[in-house]
Amino acid sequence: MSAVATPSGEPVGTSTAAQARVPVSGPAPQHGRRRTELLMLVFVIGVVLFAYANVGLGLNGKIPAGLFEYGIAFAVLIGGAHVAVRWLAPWADPLLLPLAALLNGLGIVMIYRLQQSGRAGNTGSVISTMTTSTTLYQVLWSAFGLAAFVAVLAFIRQPRTLQRYTYTLGAIGLALFAIPALLPASMSEINGAKVWILLGGFEIQPGEFAKLALAVFFAGYLVAKRDVLALAGRRVLGIDLPRARDLGPVLIAWAVSLLVLVFESDIGTSALFFGMFVVMLYIATQRTSWLLIGFLLFVFGALAASRLFSHVGERFTIWLHPFDHVHTTAFQLVQGLYGLGFGGILGRGLGQGQPYYTPLVQSDLIITAFGEELGLTGLMALLIIYGLIVQRGLRAAIAVRDPFSKLLAGGLAFVIALQVFVIVGGTTRLIPLTGITTPFLSQGGSSLVASWMLIAILMRISDTARRPAPQPIQDEGMTQVVRAG
Amino acid sequence: MNRALRRVSLACLVMFVLLLVNVNWLQGFDAASLASEPGNGRTFSEQFQFQRGSIVTADQKVIAESRLNKNLGEYQRHYPFGPMYAPITGYDSLFSATGIEQAQNKQLSGSDPALAVHNLIDLVTGKPKKGATVQLTINSAAQQAAFTALAAQGRQAGVVALNPQTGAVLALASYPSFDPNQLATLNGSKLIKNDRRLLRDPNQPLLNRALNDTFPPGSTFKIVTSSAAMTDQGITQNTPVYAPTRLKLPGVAQPLVNFDGEACDNGSNPTGNGKVPLIFAFTVSCNTVFGNLGMQLGGAKLKQQATLYGMNNPRLAIPLPVTQSNFPLYTDKAQTAGAAIGQESDTVTPLQEAMLAAAVANKGTLMRPYMVDKVTAPDLTPLSTTQPTVLSHPVSPTVAGQLTSMMISVTQSPQGTAHATADVPGIVIAAKTGTAQTGINNSGLDDAVFTCFAPAANPQIAVGVVVKGGGLGADASAPIAVKIIQAYLAAVGK
Repeated sequence: MSAVATPSGEPVGTSTAAQARVPVSGPAPQHGRRRTELLMLVFVIGVVLFAYANVGLGLNGKIPAGLFEYGIAFAVLIGGAHVAVRWLAPWADPLLLPLAALLNGLGIVMIYRLQQSGRAGNTGSVISTMTTSTTLYQVLWSAFGLAAFVAVLAFIRQPRTLQRYTYTLGAIGLALFAIPALLPASMSEINGAKVWILLGGFEIQPGEFAKLALAVFFAGYLVAKRDVLALAGRRVLGIDLPRARDLGPVLIAWAVSLLVLVFESDIGTSALFFGMFVVMLYIATQRTSWLLIGFLLFVFGALAASRLFSHVGERFTIWLHPFDHVHTTAFQLVQGLYGLGFGGILGRGLGQGQPYYTPLVQSDLIITAFGEELGLTGLMALLIIYGLIVQRGLRAAIAVRDPFSKLLAGGLAFVIALQVFVIVGGTTRLIPLTGITTPFLSQGGSSLVASWMLIAILMRISDTARRPAPQPIQDEGMTQVVRAG
Repeated sequence: MNRALRRVSLACLVMFVLLLVNVNWLQGFDAASLASEPGNGRTFSEQFQFQRGSIVTADQKVIAESRLNKNLGEYQRHYPFGPMYAPITGYDSLFSATGIEQAQNKQLSGSDPALAVHNLIDLVTGKPKKGATVQLTINSAAQQAAFTALAAQGRQAGVVALNPQTGAVLALASYPSFDPNQLATLNGSKLIKNDRRLLRDPNQPLLNRALNDTFPPGSTFKIVTSSAAMTDQGITQNTPVYAPTRLKLPGVAQPLVNFDGEACDNGSNPTGNGKVPLIFAFTVSCNTVFGNLGMQLGGAKLKQQATLYGMNNPRLAIPLPVTQSNFPLYTDKAQTAGAAIGQESDTVTPLQEAMLAAAVANKGTLMRPYMVDKVTAPDLTPLSTTQPTVLSHPVSPTVAGQLTSMMISVTQSPQGTAHATADVPGIVIAAKTGTAQTGINNSGLDDAVFTCFAPAANPQIAVGVVVKGGGLGADASAPIAVKIIQAYLAAVGK
């Protein structure tokens, strides 16, 4: 499939195509939809500051200290990102930045709320896994995240710049994955998950960045090999199976994810990584058989792992019979469920629930704290925000013309959806609970920075997709602009 | 690639829809059942933010109440009478609840739908939320007498007193008991320590012996056998019945004998092979007579009669769950004979003992036992009142009258087994004693069983007592019943 052929006849792609075909006379509009973005960002700052004030009122009836200062700081950070987008990616989707900023801001508010529990005379009990500077760190990491966001936009001016580093990034991704497994436990293990690099008080989760590097690698690799991988082998039950010799990549991806599972005890990341690969393979080849093969491999791997490794099997037991293990292995899950139930339809109100009962509520189970204090209403709103981010990402994938960008945007958008599904589904007992971060909300720097980088890549791709074709230099009707793609 | 991307979008949509549906189910529909999970700390600590309703006796003595602990800013449960009412109130601890605290939790905690309007009004008017008051049928004088008497004799025992006309429980005591205040502490580690100590106590103080421990009924079961014989064979208290000194049992070497191997002789049966009137056999409690009647009736008829008296009921709740009293279907003749005198696999709770006497006292109609009289909202409007209901009709009024005469004879006749212990001035008590042999080859200490009602002419109270290892029912159990009857009749002025 050539790049030119793709958008033709595709209804969604037509808007940009039409724009390109009819050259706009006069200078191109300065701000794609940047005014909309700015308006949404003002709204985001308002919501976040209101939530912050609400936490203080809920905890001890007072407006929390530093509302003004934090408000300024948050506005400056977000405003800076907005200015950078105006400069670096003026045609980018106007919703992605506000949506991500809202999640990040609400995450900080919730972490502040959890940190204040039982401290400074507030109700509740102190969450021992948090210190009085946890929120400050989260704010600093957010600043880092936004800086990384701007840096990605600044250094990657064309999505295809990344394509050049396909194999380099593939190697970096694998290395990032492998480091925690190779490091001694003292430098890599927290709460049984060996997925960290612990250096001088810093906790880095390299898997979060590996996810991005590997997405780029998969996109580059699959774009190069997709014609071969799409070749049909035998036809069984109406499905064209791939040729046996082409099974190599999927088996390697499968093996790597299993290794992550075994050596790092990280079921969530393993599933995320494999799911991303299979779906990108499917997008690249349009062969349903790859989905089927991937799904079967996943089921087989999961079943085998649950038999062979007690910590995997345990997850299934907890999932099926949580109330039989309330005081032991299922304690965290059940406390999260109690929190959700306690929240009910409208929630207890920020600062007025008891999320401190749930272990590690500030990281993996933060969604239950939102469910408890903002209720079903707030939780659904959060899920819809994630849904919109995914939708905007997929929209960019469909709109962009070059297959590498298409594949990368599709893979990244899907991985957000999958990550939200795995962690929210896990905490709400839809599927077995596996510990991964909730993008933008969970406490933790790596996830936050990586998520902002992911948004930056999606915005870069959407900017490319929506950018009008360059003005023809001579308007003689003879010269055709050959669009890149 | 766009076709695949659209399908991926659809897959993402499905994932989000699944998540949305699931959280709707969890927070919208499942929230109530999550809240009622035992060990849900959130619901629990919420309940300590407001005043839980009190539990009071019929004569308005507060036996469980919530008091504000000023240091913690939380309400703590307090049981003013300690162990005396423990088998009734149960306890409401950080981790679990038992007794009325558990059975009436919705009313006490104010989460009952009937309280929704009250709660809403309180919310609007800014009044703090408060649970409903549960008023029991328990009479404090009878309860005090029951617990004091059990504690004085010192053995494991259970006792229940009923109002035979309504089924209302007047007293319910178990010994040894525990102090529920020890489990109402808001200090988690102290609670765990106290709970462990009580669980490890070999005397099982947490066991409610009045409702949840079973004993062989012994000779008190002769009320059931007599009922079946009078109903089925049409015999009366005066009908002469076969009264051998030793009753040969088919297929068993050892014959059935009376207490200490005595003859069943009222002066007209010197050979030990003749007949005596049924009332005489009942008064002195001849095993051979009732063993023989049991064999004539057969296991099925005995079982039917026992079931009518309330046995074999796995679902009785008052509202505390009551352990089933058993009378299985016996097909072997020798076993049937033993079962007819309350041995073999027959088991009863002290409540069941009280129900035997209560049914006879109420002219053959057994009322369903109950303990909660009414529930009152914090503003004193009544929310619900229990109406007495009939559980069954074990015998006709005529048969009940005959049984009453026989039970009066047990205390009033000089030969009666309870004449020495239950013939008290001013009150005619109708009773039946039981001395149940336990252990292999009856090697264990006999359990003392006693069932009675008083006053015989106008029954106000029926009592069932079982003292484990108490020996003769008349000696160990009868005095306890007498004390309860005297205390209750004095309290209600009859």
